[in-house]
Amino acid sequence: MAHILITGIAGGLAQLVASKLLAEGHQVVGVDYRELKEPRDPSLQKLQVHRAHYNKTIIEDIFRHQSFDAVMHLGRAFSLKDSAGKRFDLNVVGSQKIMNLAVQHKVRSLVVLSTFHIYGAHPSNHIPIAEDEPLRAGVQFPQLADAIQMDNMSSTWVYRHPQVKTCVLRATNLIGPKLHNTLTQFLRLRHVPYLLGFNPMMQFLHEDDMAEAIVSAWRQDLVGVYNVSSDEPVPWRTAIELTRAKTFPIPAPVADVFLRMTGNFPGYLIDFFRYPCVITDRQFRSKVQWAPRRGLEETLWSAVSEARMNQL
Amino acid sequence: MPKSTTYSVPRELPPDLLLKWNEILSRLTNVLQIAKDARHHWIDPMVSQAIDSLPNRINSQGFDPWGFSPQEAKFYYSLARHIYDYFRPEIFGIENIPKGRVLIVPNHSGQLPFDGLVVAQATLLQAKPPRLVRAMAERWVSTLPFVNEMFARSGVVLGDPINCRNLLEDDQAILVFPEGAKGSGKIYQQRYRLAPFGRGFMRLALQTKTPVVPVAVIGAEESIISIHDWKGLAKLLHAPYMPISPLLPLLGPLAYFPLPTKFRIYFGEPMHFDGPFDDEDSVIQRKVDQVQDRVQALVNEGLAQRRSVFF
Repeated sequence: MAHILITGIAGGLAQLVASKLLAEGHQVVGVDYRELKEPRDPSLQKLQVHRAHYNKTIIEDIFRHQSFDAVMHLGRAFSLKDSAGKRFDLNVVGSQKIMNLAVQHKVRSLVVLSTFHIYGAHPSNHIPIAEDEPLRAGVQFPQLADAIQMDNMSSTWVYRHPQVKTCVLRATNLIGPKLHNTLTQFLRLRHVPYLLGFNPMMQFLHEDDMAEAIVSAWRQDLVGVYNVSSDEPVPWRTAIELTRAKTFPIPAPVADVFLRMTGNFPGYLIDFFRYPCVITDRQFRSKVQWAPRRGLEETLWSAVSEARMNQL
Repeated sequence: MPKSTTYSVPRELPPDLLLKWNEILSRLTNVLQIAKDARHHWIDPMVSQAIDSLPNRINSQGFDPWGFSPQEAKFYYSLARHIYDYFRPEIFGIENIPKGRVLIVPNHSGQLPFDGLVVAQATLLQAKPPRLVRAMAERWVSTLPFVNEMFARSGVVLGDPINCRNLLEDDQAILVFPEGAKGSGKIYQQRYRLAPFGRGFMRLALQTKTPVVPVAVIGAEESIISIHDWKGLAKLLHAPYMPISPLLPLLGPLAYFPLPTKFRIYFGEPMHFDGPFDDEDSVIQRKVDQVQDRVQALVNEGLAQRRSVFF
């Protein structure tokens, strides 16, 4: 039985990982800077929760009072409601603190959740993209600087502190019934737009499969930086069709204005609806016994089915 | 009303407006659906048969990772067939295309990539068994609305070493114009004189042990004539070049309508190369020169045999 700390516990993915680990009999502590919504899922009854900023001293106490075998750092803040400064504090300063604490308190393994967004959607992207390729996102989108820096920092950590088995997972688009990330919310709209004249290939991974990937990476003491993706890239409009949403085109300049007016949709995401960013997880699968269990159709439908029922 | 969470697109609309909005959108989707259904009437049976006979490399939704879709390619190749027939191409030596991986290397000309279209159509319709060539496109193409999708669905990929290597290792046929935009944008005075080849294709041929088939395309140079490349305007439009037609004062934009020249395509015998792919540029260059000389020789032979540009 292991003693595990999970960050970002207010999020759907962290809770899924937690309930998997609890079901296996591990002792799980969750931490988040956001408030955890009640009532909790019955599978999370035994979960111990703390509210703490990753860059403040409360988190030090958590490490001081308990000794963890593993830390799963899944709590990357991506909401643009938070200012860039706040995201930098949470994602960069906070991650650094968590990693330092892990070394200091002799934590055995560390799993860090990163994102494929850092590769950037770019007209010169080849297909598929592997782990050692340049991270193009930063050039065009300073909003992603914190995500890139967090990924870089944890990647160098892998080699600087070999005593902590660190693995960084760059996940593709994650969707599912328990997630509330931008893309999942977007797919749940009644009318899902696409950019006029563009229809790039995209990948979608089910939340359960990702949770399983995280747990497998930890269980097998994986070290290094790995992409995690699904098997079947499809064009964006095919994905919309599979969610049984109605769709309509938006000319790119209109989309830009629309984004500026509504504000909460990250500007860098728009390029992911224009250019492909298809990644390969061949390395991950060669090291870890893992493959997504859900097919594309099931994955897409599971993320939106509840919203579609309400839209009837 | 509860405060919206992290996300607020779209904001709540008043119910009557929402109804109208829904109606407009459903009518729009209906029109799009009709347009989509109409496509089926356009599909050429020969094209359809050829595409059906290709080895299956697609996922459950009907796409390969680069976005090629046999279903949609049928439509685009059927449309392209009309352009192909317009140029009445004569194909020589198509049997020179070997089985398995191959790099098809023609001269590049004609301002618009009709030479690529005709070579691709010829290999699909005339080669036995039919081959789908994966044409390597300029980066610029991915940024063009509609064109990027049309190209991707018909099997065109971004001209990038990793794309190319993946496809060759998968035993596919690649169409590459090593002259690049310098070739297709050349002005009339330089017709049928090859611009220097890039070296990338040779490194890939060596790395993946792929035979190179040199090809000459005769007739494309005269279909759209350019006497000057207006670099300033090209830069403004982010285009690789901007041809100026001598007929521009007379015909206006119609000057760019391709003339019905007759295309003649000569596929040469496959060339095999050996050696390390990561050798010095000068070593690679010698091998590239052999291919370029062979393509130039095929072009010269083709020109010598030609009696008329249009017949």
